[in-house]
Amino acid sequence: MDERPEELLIEEARKGGREAFAELARRHERRVHGVALRMAGNVSDADDLAQEVFLMAWKAIGSFRSGSSFYTWLYRIAVNTSLTFLKKRVRERDRVPFDENLPVGTAGRGLSRGPEAGAAVNELAARIGEAVAALPVHFRAAFALVVDQGLSHADAARVLGCSENTVSWRMHKARRILQARLKPYLEEVRS
Amino acid sequence: MRCATARKRLSDALDGALRPGRKPGVEAHMRICEPCRSYRDGLVRIQAGAALPDAHPPGFWAAFERGLDLKLAAGEAGRAAVAPPLTVRRRLAWAAAAAMVLAGAGLWYALLRPQVSVTEAWVPYEDVLGPLVQAAEADPELAAAVDREVRAAIDEMMPAEDADAVVLSAADPLFWEGLSDDELRDIVTELEDETGRGGPL
Repeated sequence: MDERPEELLIEEARKGGREAFAELARRHERRVHGVALRMAGNVSDADDLAQEVFLMAWKAIGSFRSGSSFYTWLYRIAVNTSLTFLKKRVRERDRVPFDENLPVGTAGRGLSRGPEAGAAVNELAARIGEAVAALPVHFRAAFALVVDQGLSHADAARVLGCSENTVSWRMHKARRILQARLKPYLEEVRS
Repeated sequence: MRCATARKRLSDALDGALRPGRKPGVEAHMRICEPCRSYRDGLVRIQAGAALPDAHPPGFWAAFERGLDLKLAAGEAGRAAVAPPLTVRRRLAWAAAAAMVLAGAGLWYALLRPQVSVTEAWVPYEDVLGPLVQAAEADPELAAAVDREVRAAIDEMMPAEDADAVVLSAADPLFWEGLSDDELRDIVTELEDETGRGGPL
């Protein structure tokens, strides 16, 4: 386990140290992959997307300002790369709308990993995953940062380049959409 | 509190972004509003169920890192060289802009600085010189001295006459040579009318 402080790794990476950057990537790969997974909606695309994020960061590490937050900078690249990726993705145009009558795993954009991993998640969790994947991309990005990554509204606002108030409203609207879409399942669980 | 406001604040509360002063109002609303309580329960369930699956197959991250290493190696050639931070470049740009503004202001002052007229220049000294002029009225010697000083000051402030300018006067023969016959005749007539004597015709 590399014990060097992050600031030192960043400085070495800025000078061209690929090994130092690889260590930085190892420390942040789960977070970046989580954002990519939430944004892309499936593991296969998330893998490519996360690697693309690190490649972009490696190319741009020279412009990273020391004293700034590295993970905020990395998240910003992750969100922007994801948005670009989603725009390019052809199948984004013909996204299957969320259908509460479809059986789990056939709604198209769920986070299921196939039979072996799908057995591990319950039906409500799978439905929630599908409903989040069907959110508008900017709501999904806010959701990924605040709920999945645990960022404060202020940090999420810095990543997304908007105000805290905007993050707050996006989260509220995202939750209203999720509530409306998942209402039958929530009532079922309650009863 | 309206239900819409309460629900917005519930969302903030779930994210740890609700201002402390607003919490009692939300709680009071929850006590009396069953639909909002139900909405809150739903949000909590969604929040709990939204966790991303973190179970990856064995070797997943090792494979991810190997793939990333290959991409980094391939992309190394295209990596941008370490550029000076943007702030340094911004500072240089601002310094250059400030220098240009100063140079422009200096040039403007050198070429187009406002000229003070003799009348305007006199005004600040009027109060000081007033009593002196009054005293000079009773003392001819002082009057002459004041007159000399005032004239010298005025001469100093007045723009110098162009040394190359040709100033013709009646004492200069060139003045008379430049006049036409009609002009000379008019002058003679005027002099005869005024003095009874003609000019140098």
